[in-house]
Amino acid sequence: MIEIVLAVVFLPFVGAALAPAVYRLLGERTAYYAAGVAAVCLALVTRLYTAGVGLDGGTRYAVDWVPALEVSLALYVDGLALLIAFLASGVGVLVLVYSGGYMHGEPGQSKYYATMLAFMGSMLGVALAGDLFALFTFWELTSLSSFLLIGHYTSADDSQYAARKSMLITVAGGLFMLAGFLLLAWAGGTTLIAGGDDSLVATAGPTIETLRSVGLFVPALLLVGVGAATKSAQVPFHVWLPNAMEAPTPVSAFLHSATMVKAGVYLIGRFRPFFLGAEGGGAHGGGAAGSRGSGAAAGTGGEGAAGEAAGEAAAAAASLLPEWSVVFVTLGLATMTVAAVLAVAATDIKELLAYSTASHLGLITAGFGAANALGAETGAFHILNHASFKAALFLVAGIVAHEAGTRRIENLRGLRHDLPVTAVIAALASLSMAGIPPFNGFYSKELLFEATYELGHELGGTAWLFPVVAVVGSVFTFLYSIKFLSLFLGDRPDGLGHVHRPPVSMLAPPAVLGIVVLAVSAVPNTAIDLLVGSVYDSTVPGAAHGFSIPFPPSKLKPAVIMSAITIGVGAVAWPQYDRLHHGIRRVLAGPVRANWWYDNGVDGLTSGGRDVGEWVQTGLVRTYAAWTIGATSLLALGGYVVGEVGLPALSVPPGMTPAIVLVLLVAVVGAVAVTAAPSHVAGVLTLSILGFMVAIFYILADAPDLALTQLVVETLVLVLFLLVLNRLPAYYGQPSPGRALRDGALATLAGATVFLTVVLSTSATPSEPLSGVLVERANLPPGEHASVFTNYGGGSNVVNVILVDLRAADTLGEISVVAMAALAVLTLIRMRTRGDTR
Amino acid sequence: MVASSVNQPVVVAPLLVALATAILTLLARFDLRVERVVSLAGGVGYTAVTALLFQRVVLGSESVLPYYLSNWPAPYGITLVADALSASMLALAGVVTLPALVFAVVSVRERGQRLSFHPLYHFMLAGVSGAFLTGDIFNLFVWFEVMLMSSYVLVVFYSGPEHTRAALSYVVLNLLGSAVMLVAIGGLYATTGTLNMAAMARRLGEPAAYNVAVAPTLGLAALLLAVFALKAGIVPFHFWVPAAYRAAPAPVTAVLAGVVKKVGIYAIVRLFFTVFVAAEYANGSALDYVGPVLVVTAVASMVYGGLAAVGRDELEQLLALSSVGQVGFIVLPLGIAALAPNLPMPNGVPGETLAAFGVAAALVYSFNHAVAKGLLFLVAGTLTDVIGTTEFDRLGGIARRAPVLAGAFLLGGLSLIGVPPLIGFFGKLLVFRVGVLAGAAGSGTAARLAWLGLAAALVGAVLTIAYVTRAWNAVFWGEPPKTVEAVLEERWSAGRRESTAAAADGGQFGVTSRRTLAVEAVVLAVLAVTLVGFGVGADLVVEAAAEAGEAATDTAGYVDGVYPEDGIDGVPADGGDHSGDGGGH
Repeated sequence: MIEIVLAVVFLPFVGAALAPAVYRLLGERTAYYAAGVAAVCLALVTRLYTAGVGLDGGTRYAVDWVPALEVSLALYVDGLALLIAFLASGVGVLVLVYSGGYMHGEPGQSKYYATMLAFMGSMLGVALAGDLFALFTFWELTSLSSFLLIGHYTSADDSQYAARKSMLITVAGGLFMLAGFLLLAWAGGTTLIAGGDDSLVATAGPTIETLRSVGLFVPALLLVGVGAATKSAQVPFHVWLPNAMEAPTPVSAFLHSATMVKAGVYLIGRFRPFFLGAEGGGAHGGGAAGSRGSGAAAGTGGEGAAGEAAGEAAAAAASLLPEWSVVFVTLGLATMTVAAVLAVAATDIKELLAYSTASHLGLITAGFGAANALGAETGAFHILNHASFKAALFLVAGIVAHEAGTRRIENLRGLRHDLPVTAVIAALASLSMAGIPPFNGFYSKELLFEATYELGHELGGTAWLFPVVAVVGSVFTFLYSIKFLSLFLGDRPDGLGHVHRPPVSMLAPPAVLGIVVLAVSAVPNTAIDLLVGSVYDSTVPGAAHGFSIPFPPSKLKPAVIMSAITIGVGAVAWPQYDRLHHGIRRVLAGPVRANWWYDNGVDGLTSGGRDVGEWVQTGLVRTYAAWTIGATSLLALGGYVVGEVGLPALSVPPGMTPAIVLVLLVAVVGAVAVTAAPSHVAGVLTLSILGFMVAIFYILADAPDLALTQLVVETLVLVLFLLVLNRLPAYYGQPSPGRALRDGALATLAGATVFLTVVLSTSATPSEPLSGVLVERANLPPGEHASVFTNYGGGSNVVNVILVDLRAADTLGEISVVAMAALAVLTLIRMRTRGDTR
Repeated sequence: MVASSVNQPVVVAPLLVALATAILTLLARFDLRVERVVSLAGGVGYTAVTALLFQRVVLGSESVLPYYLSNWPAPYGITLVADALSASMLALAGVVTLPALVFAVVSVRERGQRLSFHPLYHFMLAGVSGAFLTGDIFNLFVWFEVMLMSSYVLVVFYSGPEHTRAALSYVVLNLLGSAVMLVAIGGLYATTGTLNMAAMARRLGEPAAYNVAVAPTLGLAALLLAVFALKAGIVPFHFWVPAAYRAAPAPVTAVLAGVVKKVGIYAIVRLFFTVFVAAEYANGSALDYVGPVLVVTAVASMVYGGLAAVGRDELEQLLALSSVGQVGFIVLPLGIAALAPNLPMPNGVPGETLAAFGVAAALVYSFNHAVAKGLLFLVAGTLTDVIGTTEFDRLGGIARRAPVLAGAFLLGGLSLIGVPPLIGFFGKLLVFRVGVLAGAAGSGTAARLAWLGLAAALVGAVLTIAYVTRAWNAVFWGEPPKTVEAVLEERWSAGRRESTAAAADGGQFGVTSRRTLAVEAVVLAVLAVTLVGFGVGADLVVEAAAEAGEAATDTAGYVDGVYPEDGIDGVPADGGDHSGDGGGH
């Protein structure tokens, strides 16, 4: 079986690599080649399914990748993985066939099909990954292929904007998720996600305990949540999805409704059994609260019972509404409602569908967020339902845009006259999207209503907001769904030109999806038995039961009433749709829009970066040197302070004759005079006083060779300086008092650092210093110790032997430096005089 | 830890090959063709010997290979030491320098190549190799000078006003650094009585035995840290970076950013994690002092470099500032590791202690940055060669016209961001992981600084996405402006026809012949494949980095490796009775 699982993931990548070559052979028919690759994947996934792999508990296959990091390419097959894999490959087949019609005559097709196939492989990888880092790998690859596909029309500004936006948001979210994964890997000691005894899900209890003990449970949850929310376009990260509609419509149908954006909710489902896994975790926290309560109560006697009760209530509340639910139910319901409202304000059919997608992903998120069985059922079932109706609707939108030449809602009406088959599909799918019985979208929405009602019922108080918000969001969902349907109703407006019939390749795929909608609607429980049941199993901690949907409902449950309210209010509000539409658009201005924040943030980043860069990189050597000297001095002085150096006692060293003192004093005077020199020339001349005094010092200290060197260097430097300065303006600028102060302080700091360094260094007396060892063996005076240096160094002068033998490598390096200095002069002169500045 | 007592030529080979090539190219200046052949042969040889050394030391059984120059025993003569850290750094240099050289042969103007380019390039490699290999701090200074002088001339190479100006701040700041380094080395020599790093580690570890006053060495070490930070371009020592990287010819910039910068990183690791760590100071070890400094400067680098890069409207400057930011990602794990070096690491982490793991993470990231940034600078160089500019408002729509160029840039950019399965992902993964492990398992200030570093790394990574995508949109997507239309009317293809670029305007870009562009495209493709190959096959890189991390933090092993078991025939020095025992810290 492992070969099949590997083939499912990697076949599309191979297909992608071959796509350019195939395109050269087949031209536009590459679409069917790509669809063929997808069909093979679909067949392989079906093979896994029929073999029963992963249906009763997951099966994990391990493939080594980077053993040094214990990162494996573990693949894990269970219900959830199979569902997403079915969607990726199944919708893949349909969308690629559809592309054959839609992309006719479009540019960049070879790249398009390669990227689509690479995306499909990445998505299958996300679905089947059993290792945190393997998951992350495929996750980022989906973001990347999304980036390239959104930017398909590379020269359009809108495409570029949209592609960058999606990349910034989803890849950045992915990096946060990576940090979260690392926390999980640290706490769990494993990078395997699920299956076996050693995975995160299997060891959820102790792992969560570890995380909680260092206060990292909530950060880990939030970091993983950011990854999911950015990918699944949850508020406030939803802003990239409507812009992503710049991509060709098949891309929108495939990536931005059916699969890639599902990766986020998939992640939530995948980690649901982990984060909720410790029923232990919640109960544990509650238990501790309980014992604290009773402990406190014991002291006050009479109130003991009350304290205990409060503790138990806290425990109950903790397990019903763990942090997981606080985060994801809130996030999901907020997204569901906000995005539905925004969909009503949409003016473009793809924009409407994009907001609708975000809204339905919010529904799934909220479902998975609820820590009860109904929540998991909601999420599991709605992934399938949403993919079926939303992909169909996108393909319908593509037909409309392609054949009618416009996507503006106000220009489109009465399309059923020109597109009868499309109209039927659109009707099925939009009624399902609206949540109208008996279509499949209705069932999963019912489950959400039940789940939120249960939360409200059990928790009371503000938790009642959950079902209320769910209903409000659903009302708007109803409204925009009917709006989409109305494109096909009524009379054709005069402005609408000739509408072509779509080719079969574009009509068949949405028709297939329409049939899926119909089938699931007709026999929902069969769909659950076949697959959704085991998806549900994947998303609940511990052993799970299957579930079924009673339809028609046997009794008047609250959820039924909620559905009735939704449809009723929706129907009443429908005539006011235009006023709502305009009203929302009026409110949407400035900081209310998440886009305002994104755009200003990115623009601010760019201009802020420009300003900061220009402010720091002044191009002035003086600024640069000031920072360098200041930082160096502070580092060193800090080192002396931290190292707690003791200052050596001041004493007059032996050999300090009046002559030396005099020479040094003159040197000091020279140094001070440099700072007061009125011109470059005067400065250099005064500086050379210092240099010559050092030379005299060497003579007095019995170092004639050093003195000679110093004299030669000093003379040459002086001459060179004067020659060069001759060609420079003699003017010294007057520094401002502030700058003089700053430079003076800096010079003092640097001087203090060097002074301290020299004082500390010269006071040290290590035993057996290298110099001592060498001097001992030098044959000065001649005779006694000559053997070492003559035998091994071939010379008797210790300085010479050091230079040409003992430390010959230093000499070699310095000779190279001299040679390069010559080359430098040559280069500067020759390259310049040829006027060759490139 | 038994070191071979016989000098093995493979250790000194990288240095010799580079020096010999430099001299031979200098001699071959009479004929450019001969010079190019010699230079390329030297480049191939360099990569080959670094690979051989890597194979021997990192993959093979040998741990620390000393080479006693002139056969003078340690600690009297200059000792070269190849351990896993040095060998890994050399291998990194070998991977980057050969493609850059091939690129340079076709890209740098012929006059410049004939004048001085090839000797300088190989002198630069000699400096780099010497710095990676030497076990003697004064010798390190010498190789720094060799590197500085060669790179100075290469920065100023085209000798125009902007090149001279950039080179001025480059050379002024780096000469300042040289002076500071000399002061520090002098101080260390006076304080410890030795220049040999292993001997210094031993003396610092047993100060009483050698009568060493340890306290001042912390400040002296801090002076060295400033110098190394200057070489590495860490904020606030980064000022020279943007102008110098822009001024130098693209292949040189690729090596400056990819390899020369890493010498500073290497020196920090070698001297602090191997040598100064041996000393005990009044308030802990040297790592305790430099840890917070490194974390704070890394944070500043990541944030400043990333932010400033986003605001640039010119590709080379953007990449240069990005280098400032990226070096922060390399320094961060070192800083965090220095905060709690002995923290034990769990399974599945390459390294037994946080120190070893931190070094390994820094090395993996360095490798990524070397290849990815080298690639990106070469893309910028190709743009300069073909279109004559890297300014955003004069570029656009390249992706459709030159897909190889676009693909190379995309892969390089994605590796900087850290998108798997490129090697950059593993770099990010390890850097983040160092932060997480130190934050979760550590305590107190160390943990807090680790979290701060991790948060800044996330910010820095988001900024990376921002500038990479901005550059991509500006250069590779969008409508091509006239500057692009003029030279790339339609899709450029290396093999099929005479490049339009060559025919464009006769004079200015006449050098960019079809062959030039084909060679450049091949170099870019090779580097791009390297990024993918070492990402998919990351195990090799991670294993090597882990070995290097262990080697860098194993002071005792280093000292024992440098001092032979029973001395070699040589000076029967008084210090000789110490050379037998493995008494390092």
